[in-house]
Amino acid sequence: MVELRGVRHRYDRRLVLDLEQFAVPAGAMLAVVGHNGSGKSTLLRLLALLEAPTEGQVLWDGRPVRHRPPTALRRRVTLVEQRPMLLRGTVLENIGFGLRLRGVDGTEAYKRTAEVAEQLGLLALLERRRHELSDGEVQRVAVARALAVRPEVLLLDEPTSSADRAASSALYRALAEQRAVPSKPPLAVCIASHQLEDAYRWADDIRALAEGRLSPVTPENLFRVELAPAGTDTMSARVGAIDILVTTDRAGPAVLAVPPGDIFVSSAPLSSSARNVLKGRVTRIAAHRPGGGVAVTADVGVELVAIVTADAVRELALAPGVPVVFSFKASAVRVF
Amino acid sequence: MDFLAEGFRRALALLLSGDAEVLGIALLTLKIAVVATVLACAIGLPLGYLLATRRFWGRRAALTAVNTALAFPTVVVGLLLFGLLSRRGPLGGLGWLYTWQAIVIGDVLLALPIAAALSAAAVQGVDPRVRRTAETLGAGRWLTAWTVAREARFALAAVITAAFGQVVAEIGAAMMLGGNIRGSTRTLTTAVALYTSQGDFGLALALGLVLIALALIVNVTLQLLQGKGSG
Repeated sequence: MVELRGVRHRYDRRLVLDLEQFAVPAGAMLAVVGHNGSGKSTLLRLLALLEAPTEGQVLWDGRPVRHRPPTALRRRVTLVEQRPMLLRGTVLENIGFGLRLRGVDGTEAYKRTAEVAEQLGLLALLERRRHELSDGEVQRVAVARALAVRPEVLLLDEPTSSADRAASSALYRALAEQRAVPSKPPLAVCIASHQLEDAYRWADDIRALAEGRLSPVTPENLFRVELAPAGTDTMSARVGAIDILVTTDRAGPAVLAVPPGDIFVSSAPLSSSARNVLKGRVTRIAAHRPGGGVAVTADVGVELVAIVTADAVRELALAPGVPVVFSFKASAVRVF
Repeated sequence: MDFLAEGFRRALALLLSGDAEVLGIALLTLKIAVVATVLACAIGLPLGYLLATRRFWGRRAALTAVNTALAFPTVVVGLLLFGLLSRRGPLGGLGWLYTWQAIVIGDVLLALPIAAALSAAAVQGVDPRVRRTAETLGAGRWLTAWTVAREARFALAAVITAAFGQVVAEIGAAMMLGGNIRGSTRTLTTAVALYTSQGDFGLALALGLVLIALALIVNVTLQLLQGKGSG
C-alpha cells in the first residue's frame, strides 16, 4: 500500500534515514523496533506524508507521491506521535476533529466518537480538556482521534510509552477490534516501539532499525558501540559493563548485533572456540514467536536475549534468577 | 497647574455636551484605524504565517526586512507616499492626496510590518505538533492554518491590538498625507497637535481623552472576544 524506495532523508545534512525499500502492505501489523534516535519517528513521518524524503520516493498503491501530496491522499494515513498534542477544546471535540474536517455529519460523527472512546476507555473523560488529562490519557485520546477517521494506514509512535499495563492492553484490544471491522482495504498498522516484547506479541512482522538503516538481523541485542582494536583480527566493543569481542575490519562507531540464535546457553562455562563467554543470571523467560523457541533474557553485565528450545529450558532448569552462561563466537557478532 | 485643571474641565464639558466636531474627528479616526487595521491584518497575518511555516529561499532575509520595517519612521513613510501620491507622482492621477484614503494607505504600510513580524513570532511560538496533528488528521492548507491560528489566538489578538494601536496613535503619515483638513482629514492625533499649538489646551486634552478611550474600548472588545472558551 505505502512504500518507501531508495529513501535517504537528511536533517541539516545529517543522514537520519537510509532505506533501500520499506513497505507497509494493506492489512499488515508491522512493528518497527530500535533505539531512541534510530530513525523510527522520521520513518513514520515520511510514511504519514508529513515530510517528503530528501532523496528517493514514497509510493502509494505503486504510484509515486508528489512532493506536496494532495489532501485526499494524506487522509488515507494518519500518525499518532510519541508525545501527541491535543488541540484546544474537549476530548470529545478532539476525537471528532478529523471527522469534522471530512464533513462527517453530527450524528454519525458522534456515533463514531463514542465508539472509539468506549473501546479506549475514554467515555468518562469526554468533557475534559487537555490540561486535565495525564500523559497516558492524552496518548489514548490521540489514538482514538486517529482511529475515528478510519484510515487505511495507522502509524503509532511508541503508543504505550506513557501507558500502564491496563491502558496498553486496552489499546491493543481497540486495534484488534478496529481491524476486525471489515473494510476495504483492511486497516494496516505500523507501530514504532522499543518494547520488543509488545512487538512480538501482536505484530505479524518486525523490522529493526538502527542508525537509520534496516538491521539485517532480528532486533534483539542491538548495541551502539565504539570498536577498538583487541588483537590481530578482532575488535573489542564496550557494551554496558562488559566487552564483546568481534571479528571485523571496521573500527570506530558502529552498530553491533548478537543474533539470539547464535548464543549458546549453558549452566557452566563450556570449553569451546567461543571468544565471548559471559556469566550472569536469567531475568526473564518468554515464549518466543509461535514455533520459534523460547527467549531467555539474562543480565550478563548487559541484557542479552538468547533463543533456545523449550527442551533446553527444561534440561537446564532455566528460570528467573538462575545463574547462566552465554557464549558466542566473535565471528557470530554482526557489525553494520 | 491651573491651566491643566481648566483643560480637564473644558474637556469634560466638550465630551458631555457631545460636541459635533469632537464626535466627527473621533468617528473619522475610528474609520481610518479600523479600515487600516483590517487591511494590514488581512495581508500581514497570512504573510506572517507563511514566513513562520514555509521554508523558502530568502526567508531569513524576508524576516529581517519585516523586522527592520517595524522601526520605520512614520514621517518617512508619509514622505515616500507623499511623493507617490502628489500631483506629479506616479499615483497622482488617483487624486488621493489629502484624503482619508491616503492616510489609510500610509497606516497600512506602517501596520503591515507589525502584523507580519508579530504574527510570524506568534505562529513560531505554537508547538510544531499542532500543525502536524492537523495535517495528519486530514486538514488541507487552509484548515491547518486555521487550526494553528486557533492555538495562537491570544498572541494573534495581541498582534491585532498592536496594529490598531500603531494606526490610531500615528501622526506623521496622517499629517503629511491627510493634511489635517477640518471636516475631511482631521484625525484625533493631528487635531491634538494643532489645538495644542494654537493654545486651545482644553480641546486638545478632550481629544486626547477620546483617543485613550478609543484604544481602551478596542482592547477590551478584543479581550472579551478571545476570552470566550479557554484551554
